[in-house]
Amino acid sequence: MEEIKERKIVVAVDESEESMEALSWSLDNLFPIGSNNTLTLLYVKPPLPVYSSLDAAGFIVAGDPVAALEKYEHELVESVMARSRTVYQDFESDINIERRVGRGDAKEVICNAVEKLRADMLVMGTHDYGFFKRALLGSVSQYCAKRVKCPVVIVKKQPQNI
Amino acid sequence: METYVDAIGAGDTAATTTTSGAGDTAAKMMETATAAKPIKKKLKVMVAIDESKNSFYALEWAVEHLRDVISAEPETNQEGGLLTLVHVHPTYLQYIYPTGGTDSVPESMRKAREENTTKLFTRALEICRGKMVKTETMIIEGDAKEMICQAVEQTHVDLLVVGSRGLGMIKRALLGSVSDYCAQHAKCPILIVRPPKETSTSKQ
Repeated sequence: MEEIKERKIVVAVDESEESMEALSWSLDNLFPIGSNNTLTLLYVKPPLPVYSSLDAAGFIVAGDPVAALEKYEHELVESVMARSRTVYQDFESDINIERRVGRGDAKEVICNAVEKLRADMLVMGTHDYGFFKRALLGSVSQYCAKRVKCPVVIVKKQPQNI
Repeated sequence: METYVDAIGAGDTAATTTTSGAGDTAAKMMETATAAKPIKKKLKVMVAIDESKNSFYALEWAVEHLRDVISAEPETNQEGGLLTLVHVHPTYLQYIYPTGGTDSVPESMRKAREENTTKLFTRALEICRGKMVKTETMIIEGDAKEMICQAVEQTHVDLLVVGSRGLGMIKRALLGSVSDYCAQHAKCPILIVRPPKETSTSKQ
């Protein structure tokens, strides 16, 4: 008799194509029929640069840039969520899907979220940087793979020859 | 690089395939059914093992959690997925020739290594037994990280599972991490299983 385990799977999404692939991969493969898993989509907004109003002498209309930035961010979140929705809408009836948005440095927020949510598994795409970019920018997926306590799946762009 | 493959079917629906050739022909024979929406495709999963405890933990985790996606369901009469266990030998042993010794010393080293490997696979297969999963084993010689990635390419698996040695930053930079290398270079998605920390409070 198989026990139906309930598992919490976190998928980290951002604006890149690869994370949408990671999302569709995990929907295809990690949710067999009859399982009771929860999928949590986690999107991390980059930290809002703080404009100190004290030295805003140069900004005559100081309120507007901040408001425009927030609006841009909001739209970004909406677009990412809309894209993910097109990916998971076929599965919506079978699986519980949660969406969460975080703000800050992507790798740390992802690690904290995984701990807080007590996720059983983390799925991420990878930007697939080359050697130098990786050395300079650092890889979110590698950082998280080292830090989180749960298993991590790193999904790359599939070569389309299978 | 020499590869020899024993294919062992576990579970009543599995047919045992005996291959004497390269491992990729066996894996290619496992054509999974093309996915119509309600029928999900079964996965071909490869697990890299060595003597470390972490890789065995990764294997156990993989069998436990991926069982649903790999195992065959007799009711739907669908082809099951495939679990491939791959072990990579470092080749350095071949270059050790004692001066004045006879040929028997490399021989006995090779035999010892084979025994080691057999023991390893026996343990691994114990874990997979009874889980209704078609299991295959592969033994490769060479540099672990490159060979694993090559094996992934050759056998077209859907998922690679590796343990992680949990090296710190410096050791990782010096020794090189197999899981890091595979995460960057393997052609398929990779699942990195970290060992549970015994000292931290566990959630169960």
